[in-house]
Amino acid sequence: MEKQITEYASGNEIAAIAIRQIGYDLMGYYPITPSTQIAENLDIMRANGETDLMMIAAEGEHSAAGICYGAAVGGGRVINATSANGLLYAIEQFPVQSGTRYPMVMNVVCRTVSGPLSIKGDHSDIMFMLNAGWPILFAHSVQEVYDFNLMALKLAEGVRLPVVVAYDGFFTSHQKRRCMRFEQDQTVREFIGPKAEVYPFLDLEHPITVGSYMNEPDLINNRYQLHLAMKRADRILPEIFKEFEELSGRRYQKVEGYRCEDAETILFLLGSSYDTALEAIDQLRGKGKKVGAVTIHTLRPFPDKEIASFCKNADNLLVADRQDSYGAGGGNLSLEVRAAMQKSGSKVNIKSLVYGLGGKDFFVEDAVRMIEWAENPDMPEFEYYGVTMGEDEGEQLTEGLTGVMPAIENDSFFAPLTRERTQIGATQTKKAENGKVEVSGGSINATAAIPKRLAPGHGACPGCGIPVNVNLLLRAIEEPVVLLFQTGCGMIVTTAYPRTSFKVPFLHNLFQNGAATLSGIAEICYRKQKKGEIPPGDIIFIMVSGDGGMDIGMGSALGTALRGHRLILFEYDNGGYMNTGYQLSYSTPKGARSATSHVGKEQYGKTFFHKDMPQIMAATGIPYVATAVESNPIDFIKKAAKAAFYAKTTGTAYLKALSACPLNWNDKPATERRVIEAAVNCCYFPLYEVEQGKTVLNYDPEASGKKIPVTDWLSMMGRTKHLQKEAYAEIVKEMQEEIDRRYACLKAKAENPIL
Amino acid sequence: MGKISLPETASGYFEIRLESIGGLGANLCGKMLGELGMKYLDLNSTSFSSYGSEKTGTPVKGFIRYCKKDKEIRIHSPIIQPDLLVVFHQALLWDGGAWEGCHENTQVIISLEGGQEKFEGKIPVRVKNCYVVNAQKIAMETHSRINMVMLGAVAKVMGLTDLEDVNKICADTLGKKYPDALKGNLEGIRRGYEELRLAEANTADRMMREEGINQDRKPSKREWGYANAPIGGINPRYGSTVTADLSPSRQGYIPLFIKERCINCGLCDSTCPDMVFQFAKGEYKGREMMVNKGLDYYHCKGCLRCVDVCPVNALVQGLEAEHPDKEYFLPNQDLVRMPDNYVKTGPDGYITSESYLTEKRMEGGEV
Repeated sequence: MEKQITEYASGNEIAAIAIRQIGYDLMGYYPITPSTQIAENLDIMRANGETDLMMIAAEGEHSAAGICYGAAVGGGRVINATSANGLLYAIEQFPVQSGTRYPMVMNVVCRTVSGPLSIKGDHSDIMFMLNAGWPILFAHSVQEVYDFNLMALKLAEGVRLPVVVAYDGFFTSHQKRRCMRFEQDQTVREFIGPKAEVYPFLDLEHPITVGSYMNEPDLINNRYQLHLAMKRADRILPEIFKEFEELSGRRYQKVEGYRCEDAETILFLLGSSYDTALEAIDQLRGKGKKVGAVTIHTLRPFPDKEIASFCKNADNLLVADRQDSYGAGGGNLSLEVRAAMQKSGSKVNIKSLVYGLGGKDFFVEDAVRMIEWAENPDMPEFEYYGVTMGEDEGEQLTEGLTGVMPAIENDSFFAPLTRERTQIGATQTKKAENGKVEVSGGSINATAAIPKRLAPGHGACPGCGIPVNVNLLLRAIEEPVVLLFQTGCGMIVTTAYPRTSFKVPFLHNLFQNGAATLSGIAEICYRKQKKGEIPPGDIIFIMVSGDGGMDIGMGSALGTALRGHRLILFEYDNGGYMNTGYQLSYSTPKGARSATSHVGKEQYGKTFFHKDMPQIMAATGIPYVATAVESNPIDFIKKAAKAAFYAKTTGTAYLKALSACPLNWNDKPATERRVIEAAVNCCYFPLYEVEQGKTVLNYDPEASGKKIPVTDWLSMMGRTKHLQKEAYAEIVKEMQEEIDRRYACLKAKAENPIL
Repeated sequence: MGKISLPETASGYFEIRLESIGGLGANLCGKMLGELGMKYLDLNSTSFSSYGSEKTGTPVKGFIRYCKKDKEIRIHSPIIQPDLLVVFHQALLWDGGAWEGCHENTQVIISLEGGQEKFEGKIPVRVKNCYVVNAQKIAMETHSRINMVMLGAVAKVMGLTDLEDVNKICADTLGKKYPDALKGNLEGIRRGYEELRLAEANTADRMMREEGINQDRKPSKREWGYANAPIGGINPRYGSTVTADLSPSRQGYIPLFIKERCINCGLCDSTCPDMVFQFAKGEYKGREMMVNKGLDYYHCKGCLRCVDVCPVNALVQGLEAEHPDKEYFLPNQDLVRMPDNYVKTGPDGYITSESYLTEKRMEGGEV
């Protein structure tokens, strides 16, 4: 046996250690809870010079999967980690990779698939992978996360298929446990062995084509090869387990059982619940009951024979699924276990329960009750476990449909925001003679009369800029508004069920797709108005997104702008993926520390410049693009009013506000407006508008004698404070030059209307 | 069990629950306690936090399970019936949920501003022992953090005869990365260990203020279930977050309104993230305009943005404890019906990055 050391680590932490020890070439990733910590931990190791893993933060999971695929084709050893909707967003890439037979490893940290949006753990994501052609190893403990990560790559390269290591989000990914790991990286690397390339893609003397156009009669043969590879995986897994056991002393099988030999009733669970259930098994055994538990380590290839041999002597088998294959009479696991038992000729009585969705905790008592359920002939053969009816039992749903909305209008806290209540004329817009939009009124005092579209009581951090900016936007718009928020802090803190902050129609959609979704809402509204199905009158449609949503959702936003739907795209830019704990976004300032751009001896923070989204949007030719800040509220209100004017008359308007995040900028909540002002005065965030293609600078810090060097602004925030050090002078200089260059471009554009 | 004399429990686990607010460092404290058990106390241990939690001001729960070294820790569920309950912030005492599952063998440690002489009211459940420590004061004086003081206090209650092992875990966790911060933190631990006091028996019975504890708050109880919730997760209760009382997210300070100075410019309303300022039609200097009628303190999170932008010092920073009756306290003016009760809560949480936040706060950022 090789020397091992004891760690106290969570599943994500030990996964990162395994990845470091293996010595992968490249990680393409996109942050998504609860898998994000893997990349974060690796980034810390990178910053400290403990690994030379190349890490590429993609702008979305789809791209991350593409980066990984490309790197795998190129012959690299490649790793990825994702969860939930990230997995689903990338899913079209996965059969491509298995079909073309490029090995890699991906950790899937299981989480509930939206919507409604839940960040917590269940198995609804991983079951979408069952048909992807990837072997799937499922770890139910922290120790197994480490062990399976090592074995996964060996398996992947052994059968030339990409492999998933799956484990429970939070229960396994975030709980710290005692676990063992090999002391020497060499042990790990020797176990996995050298990588053999079958057809080296980058061998220029022997060029190959990957990704053929292939129909009948050939494709079925390609798929048969994949099927054979999966069979081979099934065959070599026991060999890998055995070899690993010799190194580690830890013994694995495809199926793991506990006190099953003489068990009359067996509980079948996947993931961390299996461990919890063992506690119940011991309790019940203590009372003389013959019970046992079973779980599997390989979801693909599915170990049907082994399952049958574990369960063959039982009378009752209860399979509990942490997801449902809606309409199929059970979750995927229970369906496959039923098939396996039937194939084996077993007459065991099988029941299925769906439990623990959305991360609902699984207690020892739950396992006890499930056993009782299995043994009680009166309990149904398939049911949900742990649902609650609700307090008011008056109006019952029938078969999942409700005819009437619960009558709650009468106890609303606020009167509806009718057109009359908001159209008070505090801010007025009209087209001037020069064709541009002119705003009158719009004072802060007068616009305070517009009822707020957001109710108080939302859960943003103290001093958060998002509600400030949304309120500034909305106080300028007197027409009724319809809001769509893309995923992000703004949505999370306002819509935590069973409450909502919104007093106007609101929709959340995933942040790859908000702009497109709003296009659909706007167009159906205009159509219904035209047909007289809903009353006429201007309605302003607004998408609100963070800068993160403008990374992953940039394509959707650009498409919407190019089509020219009449709506507003509003971006609050706090320079990071704050909702998931501040990973770098493309709008994070260069040099800034984040959870995926740590500062250490090998790394100084984020390595590339902040994205210039307003210029990208301006290039689509939409009638109005502007930047605004809360430190200049009058200017902000005017721009918001103009954006609304264009949205109701002409086409898409884009407005971007710099938005404070005291938590992650690491500064004082009280002083955020000054930090924002400094960002404007150093020209990091210039105030300008591009109206009908003409650029106008609204505020020139130089002319006002308020220009400051960028370092003054950077020094105000904890995330960029380190750049004050002499060692980083070059970074600050580059940043200053880039800011000056961009500002000079803007000035030139403002001076030359043709630009 | 282990190197120390933790009580043997029926379950075989000694279970600690930390009740805290995001930003006080309970997550790190839990991690250190877990590691302490495994590395130095000859125990097996696990630790984790309630998920979806580290936004500033959010209620956070930390869980630590200890057991004998040779026992596997198989349970993954949160701790419902703690053997030791550690309350990091007194605002949490008003939440019935914080006391959930306490029983007659539960020991309790409470971080209490002003120490035990401030006790009023009573503990809603019978517990074994109740200890108090003025963690905030100690943290400020030692330039450490509340979590380190509480770590010292926990060590004391767990029966550690000295701080050698705790100091080692502190050095392991912080020493390498932040050698400068180590000294203060060790001092915080020491004073937490030494200044922890057993609340007098009758004091413990007088522990809560008159407003009492919201015992109705049971996490599992949901008004909406499958039989009556609108399909699709749709929420027709527009504006319903107004029922949240966010005062627990304040860190001791509130804005005070000095009305005679106010020029009704509205900058406060433009900078407030929480819609606290209640402007209504009125008259100022003979002119009809929107005037500031007062502040909705139910929703004020104490960020003090308004104090910073007010051009005439009509809004100033005050210590909340000194202003139990807030002048110009005006609930939201748009309400057509007052909430039956405001539910004390912190902001909603979401998972954030341990790696970033731990570093940030260690470098002297906001607690």
